[in-house]
Amino acid sequence: MSERRTSPRLIGPGRWWLVPVGFAVMLLPPFYLDAFWLQTGLFAMSAAIGAIGLNLLTGSTGQLSMGHAFFLAVGAYGYVYLASSPEDGMTGLGLPTPLAFLGAIVLAGVAGGAFSPIAGRLRGVYLGIASLALIFIGQHVLFNAESVTGGFNGRNVPPLEIFGFSFDDSPGVVVLNVPFGALERLWFLAVALLVPAAWIARGILRGRPGRAMNTIRDHEVAAAVMGVPVARYRAGVFVLSSMYAGAAGALLALAFRRTVPDYFGMFLALDYLAMIVIGGLGSVAGAVAGAVFVSVLPQLLTRFGDDLPMVAAPGSGGVSPAEAARILYGAAVVAVVLFLPRGLAGVWPMLRSAASRRRASRHLTPLEKEEQPA
Amino acid sequence: MSEANRGARGVAPSQETELSEANRGTRGVAPSQETELSEANRGTRGVDPSQEAEPGELVVSGLTVRFAGLTALDDVDFTVAPGSVHAIIGPNGAGKSTCFNVLSGVYRASGGSVRFGGAELTSLPPHRIAALGVARTFQNIALSRHQTAEDNLMLGRHRLTRAGFASAGLRTPWARREDARHRARVREIARFVGVDEHLAAPAGTLPYGVQKRLELARALAMEPRLLLLDEPVAGMNGGERRRMAEVIARARADLGLSILLVEHDMGMVMRLADEVTVLDFGKRIAGGEPERVQRDPAVIRAYLGAAHEPAAPSHGEGNP
Repeated sequence: MSERRTSPRLIGPGRWWLVPVGFAVMLLPPFYLDAFWLQTGLFAMSAAIGAIGLNLLTGSTGQLSMGHAFFLAVGAYGYVYLASSPEDGMTGLGLPTPLAFLGAIVLAGVAGGAFSPIAGRLRGVYLGIASLALIFIGQHVLFNAESVTGGFNGRNVPPLEIFGFSFDDSPGVVVLNVPFGALERLWFLAVALLVPAAWIARGILRGRPGRAMNTIRDHEVAAAVMGVPVARYRAGVFVLSSMYAGAAGALLALAFRRTVPDYFGMFLALDYLAMIVIGGLGSVAGAVAGAVFVSVLPQLLTRFGDDLPMVAAPGSGGVSPAEAARILYGAAVVAVVLFLPRGLAGVWPMLRSAASRRRASRHLTPLEKEEQPA
Repeated sequence: MSEANRGARGVAPSQETELSEANRGTRGVAPSQETELSEANRGTRGVDPSQEAEPGELVVSGLTVRFAGLTALDDVDFTVAPGSVHAIIGPNGAGKSTCFNVLSGVYRASGGSVRFGGAELTSLPPHRIAALGVARTFQNIALSRHQTAEDNLMLGRHRLTRAGFASAGLRTPWARREDARHRARVREIARFVGVDEHLAAPAGTLPYGVQKRLELARALAMEPRLLLLDEPVAGMNGGERRRMAEVIARARADLGLSILLVEHDMGMVMRLADEVTVLDFGKRIAGGEPERVQRDPAVIRAYLGAAHEPAAPSHGEGNP
């Protein structure tokens, strides 16, 4: 009992095998998968980063946000604006691209900070409604501030370049007989962003800020009385979650290679909420699982739509893969709420605790015995 | 009573030693913690150090709280001497919980003042009051259901720790050491209160009595100078009540706390309290030593009604 580990580690002692499996899952796909699946994987990883951020806010602190799509847009367009050189009517700062990437994250954080007087004061659902305004403002700006955003047609995304290594389709990089184009290179960038993003979020959740956030969610008055400055924490988490969205948006822009305003609308915000509900509210693993589920499902339906009943090519009269995917994960949300209160991430712990409960029910400690009703 | 002792001793062997360990712990860990504590206090207010050496006096004077036409507290005065147990009693709706909510900053006072060790509490938000060393428990359990008992107790350390988003996210060595140090102390407190075997369980899954004790442990984890206990034994059975009373008495003796207690269990009030304040319809109707208050005709009237008393019309407005 007293010998329990003091700080929780990422991998428990009995689960060492997760390390090589994890590495294989994250590093091998570029050698085996085609462009379609690599693209899907990139979307999933970028969505995972964004969903981790939203889960810190909504799952762990209990603050609903519909404005996550707005901060993704800030990250995506922020990167484009900071990295592009000014040319034919478009403005840009032409910063070195790694700096632009960091700048995009900071910019999203600043945007979150600008909203934080509201984010700190409003609770739960009320914040959700207030943050809805951000989407409409965002859409308006994206369509109309043409010199920055490119308006309806969007803008090309300059490829990231770190120390002379460019994340684009420039020839000449061949690893183990696999020619590395933009997607293969970006894959490793995405892994290199997702892993620390998840690690940091986990540290926050298991540390002092995480306890304060969870208590704000579960019992706000108790948190305040225990010395947690509730409004400051809500605002802080909102900024943090915006920065995660900014990183996700910038990565998404790199994967798309073109940013278009339509993408960052209401549906994206709903997709993100679906991710964290399906994956599991309040946990990092849940956000990742949900992001993968929600990003991969439409792609699966697109790829195998021919073999599925009811699903038809877009415009041909049937249900398009994207619509079918929305219907499916709408059903998934309902199923999760009914049967898996802790989402996909809760399935494994649920099985484990069921097993240990069976073991624990065999003996009662003296203290518990005394508390049993006579 | 002797049964209670025997009952306690039945569980005791391990607990006795743990208790003394906890005592040693309090004193052993104390030097560094004291400094941390006083540091925290100095950070939040400018009080001369002589006052910080002992727990401050709580002076409530003229406290009035109105909610849209309803006067919940009406010009209430009382003083909690340093290191004493002060009980507030009164029938349901007398304003006891309202009083607690004002003291801990949850409600705003409409008038009057609450001074604690040189600070005016009525103008401070809850987290600033907590920073002064005022801890409280709730009448209805206010734990974070999904977090483990240990994490709930660690929340009590919030005001004594500093790790923020960056240091916790990056797991800096400093943040990890801070976490380990405070976890060790929290386990001591858990042993002291007798919830140590439940530390790993999510708080919401624990039996009611354990959750009540966990709330007390969380308040103690704040290393408070003033402890506000809102009906700590409400809904408990006899054995649980005795154990809770014992823990409260020990906490007071070992940690030198001032305790303000709201309780309906008169046996417990009489046993623990040095002084009693009686509220009825938001007014203070009596106060003083428990034995005296128990015989006070105004108190008996408030509890049993005044039907057979030839009450003067001027008294009639307050009591049914």
